[in-house]
Amino acid sequence: MEPIYQYAWLIPVLPLAGAMLVGLGLISFNKDVNRLRKVNSILIVSLIGAAMTLSFGLLWSQIQGHAPYNQSFEWASAGDFHLSMGYVIDPLSSLMLVIVTTVAFLVMVYTDGYMAHDSGYVRFYAYLSLFSSSMLGLVISPNLVQVYIFWELVGMCSYLLIGFWFYRKAAADACQKAFVTNRVGDFGLLLGILGLYWSTRSFEFDVIGDRLQDLVATGSMSGFVAGLFAILVFLGPVAKSAQFPLHVWLPDAMEGPTPISALIHAATMVAAGVFLIARMFPMFEGVPASMDVIAWTGAFTAFLGASIAITQNDIKKGLAYSTMSQLGYMVMAMGVGAYSAGLFHLMTHAYFKAMLFLGSGSVIHGMEEVVGHDPVYAQDMRMMGGLRKYMPMTAITFLIGTLAISGIPPFAGFWSKDEILGASFAANPVLWAIGYLTAGATAFYMFRMYFSTFEGQFRGTNATVKQTLKNEQLQKMGLAFGPGAMNPKELTMDTAIGEAVDPGHDDHGHHAEKPHESPWTMTLPLLILAVPSTLVGLVGTPFGNYFEAFIHAPGEAVHLAAEAEGLSEFYVMAGSSVGISLIGITLASLMYLRGKIDPSAIAAKIPFLYNLSLNKWYFDEIYDELFVRGSRRLARQVLEVDSKVVDGVVNLAGLATLLSGEGLKYFENGRAQFYALIIFVAVLGLVIFSGAT
Amino acid sequence: MLTANFPWLTTIILFPIAASLLIPILPDKDGKTVRWYSLIVGLIDFALIVYAFYTQYNFSDPGLQLVESYPWVPQLDLNWSLGADGLSMPLILLTGFITTLAILAAWPVTFKPRLFYFLMLVMFGGQIAVFAVQDMLLFFLSWELELVPIYFLLSIWGGKKRLYAATKFILYTAGGSLFILVAGLAMAFYGDTVTFDFRALAAKDFPLNFQLWVYTGFLIAYAVKLPIIPLHTWLPDAHGEATAPVHMLLAGILLKMGGYALIRMNAEMLPAAHATVAPALVILGVVNIIYAALTSFAQRNLKRKIAYSSISHMGFVLIGIASFTDLGLSGAVLQMVSHGLIGASLFFLVGATYDRTHTLMLDEMGGVGKQMPKIFSMFTACSLASLALPGMSGFVAELMVFVGFATSDAYSLTFRIIVVGLAAIGVILTPIYLLSMLREIFYGPENKELTSHEVLVDAEPREVFIIASLLVPIIGIGFYPKLLTQIYDSKTQQLTARLRDQVPTLAHQQVEPIAQAWGDVRQAPALR
Repeated sequence: MEPIYQYAWLIPVLPLAGAMLVGLGLISFNKDVNRLRKVNSILIVSLIGAAMTLSFGLLWSQIQGHAPYNQSFEWASAGDFHLSMGYVIDPLSSLMLVIVTTVAFLVMVYTDGYMAHDSGYVRFYAYLSLFSSSMLGLVISPNLVQVYIFWELVGMCSYLLIGFWFYRKAAADACQKAFVTNRVGDFGLLLGILGLYWSTRSFEFDVIGDRLQDLVATGSMSGFVAGLFAILVFLGPVAKSAQFPLHVWLPDAMEGPTPISALIHAATMVAAGVFLIARMFPMFEGVPASMDVIAWTGAFTAFLGASIAITQNDIKKGLAYSTMSQLGYMVMAMGVGAYSAGLFHLMTHAYFKAMLFLGSGSVIHGMEEVVGHDPVYAQDMRMMGGLRKYMPMTAITFLIGTLAISGIPPFAGFWSKDEILGASFAANPVLWAIGYLTAGATAFYMFRMYFSTFEGQFRGTNATVKQTLKNEQLQKMGLAFGPGAMNPKELTMDTAIGEAVDPGHDDHGHHAEKPHESPWTMTLPLLILAVPSTLVGLVGTPFGNYFEAFIHAPGEAVHLAAEAEGLSEFYVMAGSSVGISLIGITLASLMYLRGKIDPSAIAAKIPFLYNLSLNKWYFDEIYDELFVRGSRRLARQVLEVDSKVVDGVVNLAGLATLLSGEGLKYFENGRAQFYALIIFVAVLGLVIFSGAT
Repeated sequence: MLTANFPWLTTIILFPIAASLLIPILPDKDGKTVRWYSLIVGLIDFALIVYAFYTQYNFSDPGLQLVESYPWVPQLDLNWSLGADGLSMPLILLTGFITTLAILAAWPVTFKPRLFYFLMLVMFGGQIAVFAVQDMLLFFLSWELELVPIYFLLSIWGGKKRLYAATKFILYTAGGSLFILVAGLAMAFYGDTVTFDFRALAAKDFPLNFQLWVYTGFLIAYAVKLPIIPLHTWLPDAHGEATAPVHMLLAGILLKMGGYALIRMNAEMLPAAHATVAPALVILGVVNIIYAALTSFAQRNLKRKIAYSSISHMGFVLIGIASFTDLGLSGAVLQMVSHGLIGASLFFLVGATYDRTHTLMLDEMGGVGKQMPKIFSMFTACSLASLALPGMSGFVAELMVFVGFATSDAYSLTFRIIVVGLAAIGVILTPIYLLSMLREIFYGPENKELTSHEVLVDAEPREVFIIASLLVPIIGIGFYPKLLTQIYDSKTQQLTARLRDQVPTLAHQQVEPIAQAWGDVRQAPALR
């Protein structure tokens, strides 16, 4: 099996080569390359397919018990400082390789259908391939610096892909927001890496953990400083995995095309934060205070995300908040020390959430035939309904995903979520209670989404709904101009909304009455993803936890199956969490399927809570006022100081007579050369004079 | 045929200057011969540099190589003394590369082309002379020589306020260079022997008080050039008015002269003063990073925005020079080369954008990415390089400075924490202003007012070629930094060792507690 390890570096390099080849082609022979759509996409898909095959080989070999493999070369050095780069193949990285390559492969197949009419089809494939390469490089990194490098590179790909439709204002704002917010997290991560290197002289994960524990144990470093470093490092995952308080970029990132929402903003990149916590687990474990911070951040984020998802009407925004909430579960699991449970949920979530996002893309694709290429209409669930009749494959796979995320056995999400809840109960019942409530809310909002999208009557041609949406959109834009600036109704529809329409799509000009099922390139990935979403949880049941046997924290003892009392505890825990999920589902069906309860009446009764949730707890408004406007104000003041004070004083001090007032006129008359010449001659004279003496 | 005794550096410096003298008598009817002639001269000279580097330069030798010395004006003890070590060589290579590309970038210049290309070729030689001379008087002369062509290039081909800008530039720099002269003469005449030779000067043993005075003099001159706040205000004016090729020289090479001279003279010749003043340099570096980033964010004029971003990036050079570690100093040199490449590429793209939109104000642009996809993608790539994206050279440089300074044992822990924390804020500020800039130029719906009266054509092959040539080394260094660092590694190590001898705490080997404890832990067999 050695050769497969020696060539493991090909896994990130293959997609990189594809991206560079296509990218160079796009720059040099733009028109021709754009015409050869299928050639490019087949090349890129087959390269990622090759990487996937290799990854499966590595995973199989690791499951067989092959020893971890490490390969590195010296990358930078100065004096006695040496930094190497390379790759490490161990159970964790081989599992991540398989997750990333499979999801990427399926998303790329799906993209062919979804982006078929987009003029940027080839460019999109190049970006996707570049992203896959960076993400694969991240998961095989053997040290923190390499992680940081790829960490930023996936951030860059995310920036490029969110801003893919750059002519849309919302996408332009969203991509910058995503990059800058992530940079705030990277700022912490960078400082944390520097601090850890300063104290332990190493960038290796396990070495840092060992030495840090040793330093704290011997008392040569205070626990406070160690905790500070750990929390700084944790800031990276907070931004990348959209944890409170740096979660604001993820929902906006949905402005990107749906395939990347599935690949980057649900399955892989946002999970990188959890992956990094897992890699740094020996370090975090040695600093209990940081573990508490991680656990509570995760729990709060899980709750926050779910509480917002309940009222969202945009199908992708709803899924985005759900992703945030599920990432909160994973981070909480890491924080309570449930290493393998967190990674198990990462795996199951990657599959079922990718499927849900791709399903929503299929829905949007279908809706666009009816309402046109406008995200305001095509993504709003109030325009959907009854789609199961028109898109049966999408509906059934979406239902599987919904069941999986709601934690209904035997679907994948049940096993992983239950393991997390069990572990958090053992750590702190309050954490468990938050997770438990969130599980109920999750079942509610996911079934709300399923029912209002696929069941009931189709509302896509309903003019009143359309008018409501239009007004809402205009109101939002009116607010952006400043409150009371103008009556929203005075704005003409064409100028205001027309801009949002995507000129990259060639609009067919005719709208269909009914949506249609998507092409096979889109439904096939959905059907394939349904398999792991249903079955993959079975590798980690309490009756035989093969997952934990394979992936567990360094130095942790593993039992393949729980003991008898553990099992009975499992039945109680599992029973209660299935119970609350069923309550959530029942509520959702009463409100959105049978119409027995009117949701708007409940909303009217608790306007404060409803608005809080609908407006995402006002985070965007608060951050906008505090940070965006604040930094702009500060920058303007500094510029003022620079141009008035600094420039003024320096000019005055030396050159008052020359540069100010009358002096300036001489220069503008063209005598400047004369002055310069005088100075030059004087200086030369000085040289000769002083040289002679 | 070409032996080690061949005067490589003299040839490299004098060839473009001599060739420039032929420009006035070149037969040239349509104005095209001159530019081809200059480009070929540039290419030949760059090839000479690369050949000399490849055959004559030894990476592992920290000393001076390619040495030449001829008496020039014996009465003044002025020698034509040249040489290149690890500090000079990367910058000489950079100069040859950037200047040749700048000549190619100047293709559309139609106004007085003979004079323009004449000045460009004189610049070529003058700039290399600054990095190659090993004699204080000669250094001063070439420092001044290179000012004259740049003054004319600014004042004849610049924007509307070009005369004001050019005059401000020359007054600042020439004023600053007076300090070089005074300080240099003082050093030369100090002691028993009168010498202008760099190595002899570095070997002289100056008392601390004297060093501090001379150090301050040099610092003022180089602070203008680098620039260091508050002596930077000539730069936005000059950069705001310059045309793209001149811009590439200003940002790509002239700023580096300040950093080079700081290392060459302040650090290498006056190490005791450097040990005293270094904390101030660090503070100035942090001020540069944050202050200039904020000003850049508020700027609405594209050229001035990038100009301020240059100032911000130079802050890392200062911190690296003052770090007293191999890694930090190495990062400072790397940052100079890296910014030379990135700054030149950004300014070239700004020029290319201006050629199409005919405005530099961000408010008058918007949504031009649709019609100029190639310029859009090149601008994005170079902006990402400038905001220190990993995989590009800027990241490696900043990381090395960060790690070098954070692990420097010359400063107290509190000072380091504050400095690294503040400098890292630059990591957040840089993407804010660069990405805002991209968003305002290229993203969003098209600005109808702009497109109604401007024809937005996409990049031509020449422009793509220039940016591609710049991106290749940027990405190459980013992927494998040893490509560049090995050229000067032995030199920076030697210099750091010399500097560390001067820091009292380091000389007495007072290892700080944590490092001490770590020393014990490291010996524990379990952790091997």
